[in-house]
Order: sequence, then structure tokens, then C-alpha cells
Amino acid sequence: MMSLKTAISPKLQPFLQRAIQNHGGLVRPMTVISKSSAEEYKKQNYTERMNRTGRPVSPHVQIYSMPIGALSSITTRVTGILLSFGALGVGGIDLIGGSGSALSVMEAIGDTSFFISGPAKLAVAFPIVYHSFGGLRHFVWDQFPDKFLDNDMVPKASQALFGSATVISLGLMFA
Amino acid sequence: MISTTASSFSRIASKRIIGSTSSNHTATLLAERIKYFKVYRWDPEIENQKPYLSTYPVDLNDCGPMVLDALIKIKNEQDPGLTFRRSCREGICGSCAMNIQGSNTLACLAYIDDDTSKATKIYPLPHMYVLKDLVPDMGNFYEQYRSIEPWLQAEGSERAEPGADGNTKLQGEFLQTKQDRAKLDGMYECILCACCSTSCPSYWWNADKYLGPAVLMQAYRWIEDSRDTATTARLENLNDAFKLYRCHTIMNCTKVCPKHLNPGKAIAQIKKRMTALH
Repeated sequence: MMSLKTAISPKLQPFLQRAIQNHGGLVRPMTVISKSSAEEYKKQNYTERMNRTGRPVSPHVQIYSMPIGALSSITTRVTGILLSFGALGVGGIDLIGGSGSALSVMEAIGDTSFFISGPAKLAVAFPIVYHSFGGLRHFVWDQFPDKFLDNDMVPKASQALFGSATVISLGLMFA
Repeated sequence: MISTTASSFSRIASKRIIGSTSSNHTATLLAERIKYFKVYRWDPEIENQKPYLSTYPVDLNDCGPMVLDALIKIKNEQDPGLTFRRSCREGICGSCAMNIQGSNTLACLAYIDDDTSKATKIYPLPHMYVLKDLVPDMGNFYEQYRSIEPWLQAEGSERAEPGADGNTKLQGEFLQTKQDRAKLDGMYECILCACCSTSCPSYWWNADKYLGPAVLMQAYRWIEDSRDTATTARLENLNDAFKLYRCHTIMNCTKVCPKHLNPGKAIAQIKKRMTALH
């Protein structure tokens, strides 16, 4: 331990002191690949260990240019969350107002002018349609990865998903 | 009054020359094409420093075509402190993996965008702990690779014999058909540059427990190897909620691989094998 301290330049010694304190007196080089390092890896959590060093995490969502496949994937997740809240809302209304009250709320909204009922219908239709088609896409990908999981087919599938869900949702809005 | 003789003019001009009319050996002076590079910087030796962007002007007429050429030129001529990994400069070692213009690539294979009106942004691989400037800590990535045991395990094959020291020895050749060998194509070429794993949002949020596309494709490389007999054990090793199943088929990995491999498809094929196994 003494040789390690003297080997480090005076400027870095405060960092070394802090590292030793954080590890309860024991300091190991970070990327030693050996039999014992595998056991240590299983014991220590990498994120906790690295957070103690004070190093920054490189930027990710802020700088990454997301391809259309990733955008369609996160939209599937977001619509899923919206559907969860929607289902909760419908269930909650029926619990509070008695059986059938959610349906009468929806009918009341549907009877208003198109400026209100239209966007309301779209807001309900799009998550249902998009998330369902997204789920179908996942099923196809899981069953036929050879045919559909490559750089050519995935963007095409994403465009088809966005396009078809939008068209059908707009159709349901006007219906 | 400053007069420039022909010889001194050619001495000044020679520093800026890429093209010259060879027929009469006169040197042509090309106008500068200045491209700006905004590079992520962070110094561990400076206390309480937040990461920032440094802007560097580079004359494209005096620089090689790849982003790595520009980085080396900046380091040579403008800022020797700019720190980045590099080695082969030909897209095979994987050292210079970084995020260029929003996408992960190898700097030695990324052409500089000729449009000088726009700056090129260079960041380290996303959601990695930064050691300095563009250098991320790869420790976790390598440990995950080690955890899948990326070597031939054929103790259950005909080639295995009990050795003198009690360990099994593998003797003789492993015969493999061309079709079986072809199953490894598109997986063995991985250079472990980590472009794919660090492009995966799922790996960003769960780097501790999710193995990531690079390591998973290598796991599949050994699962698919006809000489390997530890297939069931390898598949069972992936059988928890995080190691394999954090993949949600986002497919950023395949989009970004600089060697044009397809880790996303490999992961989908592992999932099919897992359902067949259980």
C-alpha cells in the first residue's frame, strides 16, 4: 500500500485517499482480469463502485440520434403506459359511479361537438391501435427473426407501423 | 514593400497543397476549408469540473478523410491534452469507438462530413463512466464478456480424455461441416468495440445486470458452435430476468455495428432457443 501511495503523483494523492476511505481501506486496480476478480465482480455492484469515484457518465439521450426503429419502440412503450392509465380510469369510474358509468361518460363526450369528441376519440384510438400493431410486430419479430430483423426491414416495419396506426386512428376518429 | 520571389512563394504554398498541376510543376494554393469539431472534454485531475465541449477548427484540405485523422491532427497541432483511444486506424481493433454526430462508430471508419457550415459533434460512447475526454471505462463490458465463458467447452465430446492430472484433455481434431461452420459467420467477426451495447437504451438503464448485444451475440456464437458441448449450461446461464430478457428488440445495435453484424437477430434466436429448452 505504501508503494502505491508514493507511486502516485502528489496531485492525485487526495483522490487516492478518498478512494481508500470509500473502500474501507482496501484499494484494487479497476480492471484486473483474474480468477478472483470474477468473484469480486459478483459481490460488488459496478454502478455503486463507479459512482463513488466521482466520474461523470457520458451523455446518452441528450446526444444520441435515435433511428426510426428506436422511436417506434419507445412509442409502443408510451402508448402502453397511456393504456394502463386509461384502463385504470375506466375501472375507477365504474367503481365509483356504478356499473356502466364509464360508458355513459364516453357517450356524453361523443355527443359533444366534433372539436371535442374528435380529438378525444383520436386520443383513445391511437394508443389502442398503435400498441396492438406494435405487439403484433413483436410477435412477428420473435417468430421470424431471420426474415425481419435487419437494417432494411426494421425501418420499413417502423414506417408501416406509424403509418397504418395513424391512418386507422384517423379513420376511427371520423367514424 | 514586401516582394515574394517565386521560390519563397512555393515554400509557403507547399504547406497547403493537396493538388498541383503536374504538367508545368507549378504549385496551386487551395483555399482553406475549415470544419469545426466540437469534442467532449473532461479532466479527472481538475477538481469540481463539469464536462464541456471544446471547439477545434480543422482545415479539411490538410487532413485525412476520417474523423480519427482530424482527432490526431488536433492532438498534434492544437491540443496535445485531447485524449482518445486508437490503434489500428483501419476498423479492426475497435479502440476508437465513440459517438460521432449522434451515432456510435469507429472514428477511423467515419468519413468527415464535408459540409463546413455544420460542426461535427464527438462524444464518448453513451452512458459509460468517463475516465478522461473520449475514453470510457470498459471494465464492466469486459467482465460481462468474461462471464459467458467465451472459450470452447467440449468436455462432453468424443475428443475428451481424462488426463494425468485429473483434468479432461481434448485430443485430436474437431471435425466440422461447412454448414456448421457457416453458422458462426456474422458472429465470430465481432471486434468487441462496444458500439452496439452502448447504443442500446436498455443497456444504458441496466448496464449492471443486462449483458448487452455484444456479449449476448458472443454467447450465441458459442451456443451455435457445433464443437461445443456445454450448450444447455450456456443457455441456462442466461435464464434470469435481466441477462437476456432486458432486450426489447429496439434494434439500435444492428443499426450501429461498424462491422455490419447483426446482434439483434442473434439475441432473438437465443430467445427462441430458450423457449425450446423450457
